Amino acid sequence: MVNEVNILNVNEGSATDVDVREPKMKAKKVNVYYGDNHALRDIDLDINPNEVTALIGPSGCGKSTFLRCLNRMNDTIDICRVEGNILLDNQNINDKKIDVVQLRARVGMVFQKPNPFPKSIYDNIAYGPRIHGIANSKEELDEIVHSSLKKAGLWNEVHDRLDASGTSLSGGQQQRLCIARTIAIEPEVILMDEPCSALDPIATAIIEELIEDLKNRYAIVIVTHSMQQAARISQKTAFFHLGKLMEVGDTTTIFTNPTHEKTKDYITGRYG
Amino acid sequence: MTNTTEENQSVSRVDWNSEKQTARLKSRYRKEKMFKGIAIMSLGTAIAALLVVLVSIFSTGISGFTETRITMDINIDPAVVGEINDMSEEELTIHVASLNINRMLVSSLQAKFPDVTRRADVFALLRLFSVGAQTDIREAILEDTSIVGQTVPISLKAGSDVDMLIKGYISREVEESDRKISDQQIVWVDQFIAEERVTQGFNWAFFTSGDSREPELAGIWSATVGSFLTLLVTFLISFPIGVGSAIYLEEFAPKNRLTDLIEININNLAAVPSIIFGLLGLAIFINFMSLPRSAPLVGGLTLALMTLPTIIITSRAAIKAVPPSIKEAAIGLGASHMQTVFHHVLPLSMPGILTGSIIGMAQALGETAPLLMIGMVAFIVDTPTGITEAATALPVQVYLWADSPERGFLEKTSAAIMVLLAFLIIMNGLAIWLRQKFEKKW
Repeated sequence: MVNEVNILNVNEGSATDVDVREPKMKAKKVNVYYGDNHALRDIDLDINPNEVTALIGPSGCGKSTFLRCLNRMNDTIDICRVEGNILLDNQNINDKKIDVVQLRARVGMVFQKPNPFPKSIYDNIAYGPRIHGIANSKEELDEIVHSSLKKAGLWNEVHDRLDASGTSLSGGQQQRLCIARTIAIEPEVILMDEPCSALDPIATAIIEELIEDLKNRYAIVIVTHSMQQAARISQKTAFFHLGKLMEVGDTTTIFTNPTHEKTKDYITGRYG
Repeated sequence: MTNTTEENQSVSRVDWNSEKQTARLKSRYRKEKMFKGIAIMSLGTAIAALLVVLVSIFSTGISGFTETRITMDINIDPAVVGEINDMSEEELTIHVASLNINRMLVSSLQAKFPDVTRRADVFALLRLFSVGAQTDIREAILEDTSIVGQTVPISLKAGSDVDMLIKGYISREVEESDRKISDQQIVWVDQFIAEERVTQGFNWAFFTSGDSREPELAGIWSATVGSFLTLLVTFLISFPIGVGSAIYLEEFAPKNRLTDLIEININNLAAVPSIIFGLLGLAIFINFMSLPRSAPLVGGLTLALMTLPTIIITSRAAIKAVPPSIKEAAIGLGASHMQTVFHHVLPLSMPGILTGSIIGMAQALGETAPLLMIGMVAFIVDTPTGITEAATALPVQVYLWADSPERGFLEKTSAAIMVLLAFLIIMNGLAIWLRQKFEKKW
């Protein structure tokens, strides 16, 4: 069964060709330098809407760097220089005219280590809507907080203690709080940088389910070190190696029939 | 695979029970013991030194908080007081202040010691009492005007020499010519003691009055107010500028040679001797800007210059200690740099900033040298009411009293140091409390 699908895909070429949808984000010839270190070389990658794109590769291959290019988080690093075009809805986000604050509201991010603000659960989620002026009234803000918590699957666990500190939650709950915080400002793309690496298997399973659910509304890009996770939740996988995008394609294809020798070695656990 | 075999071999190569290994182990423990011993010894020395200082200050200073009083029967002479029945309270106060109370005291003393007739002896008798004794009599009259015309017992403040004798600081054994109190005076004092007229009590005046040439009348109130006003100016100037500089340097300033240079200079400024800041304050604030000398305004500005590096360095450290993950979270949500700093970084670093600032303030409170340079070393009796009036500060008061020849100022000096230490402990305690109260876990 799996093989059949693979053969089909291989025959038709890469997954992006089949896809009729316009990609949400397009990276074109992206190069990143950390001082003299050429960290990313000529990356071309499309991010499709309502799909999970997994970025995999050994440590230091540049997948996190690429992820951080997508909402210009690299701006905060002084020595980092990004070249090339990254289009969000056909608009270059590296353009001087683009307001980076707005961009980050449209492209949200969830980090590796859960990083809730040391404030109440309510304030954690309300912070984004507040600074962007999304809610016009207290009721509206309440509504956003409640629905975000529900979407992140955290509502049942915390609805009676919204005043408790966000840092008092368990690791998995904190990460879901961070996801709720991200979706509270209704981004179009969500970037996730190894969101489960600090979590136990049960919390990981919950987050994966959540991602599965979130992809119906958002384009999701996730960096992961877990091959199984990439295989489980993503529709498209990009394999990075030494700053280069070695191979990209339909997840099933990448995992069952990789074209590149390096990809094969990596996903079979030969190194990495 | 090859690695593990090698490790296995190397493990088996060592005989843990061999003499060499046992000796090695022993020497390791010996070194640890030695280090611990040295550490405990040095700590013990430090604590012992601190105890010596504290004990010597406390043992000298504790008597500075008590005063000696002698109860005398004073004849409130209506001839001296005059007609006061129709006077309003204000008029009465002014009138009583102008009375020749000394005459009453002298005549009362003569009544008690009729055989003392020589002028010199009368003065010697009068010197048993403080100049402040007149104030005691005035207050007694103001409190109850019905005593006019009667002879009433009033508790009078004893002179410093009597105070010292009672407290045992002046020995009766030494030659008469070597002590400030004569044999005759001691006889009189002994007579007062025998009549149970000599009492010792808490010296409230020490906390409520200003400086004085008379040790028994000198107090720390004006110096305390001066210190408070000075610190107020220091805080208002150095806190906003210091924290602002720290935020800018840590969060916004580009990292280049200029900012590196500024950073090095700030660190160096923290080590500049405080008297240099005093000279700077003298040159800039008094000579160039013509601000009033001896004023808390100038003192505060000078101390602010001195405190700034401390506040900037500690604030920067506190800001740096905010986890980058929190900043990333805010930036990732689309907060601007400014919002990130003011909504998240600053509140999280506030405990550290406040702690550093309070420590800086405590340092400024104990600072003497710069204040000497800008003239806050003057003899100030009146309590300053504004930041442009002449004032002195607590540590300068200590310095002034330590310099005074009178025996009575010795205990006052130590007592003032105790008050200063109490303020410092309170401020440091406040810093610790603030840090623990507002410290957030992440």
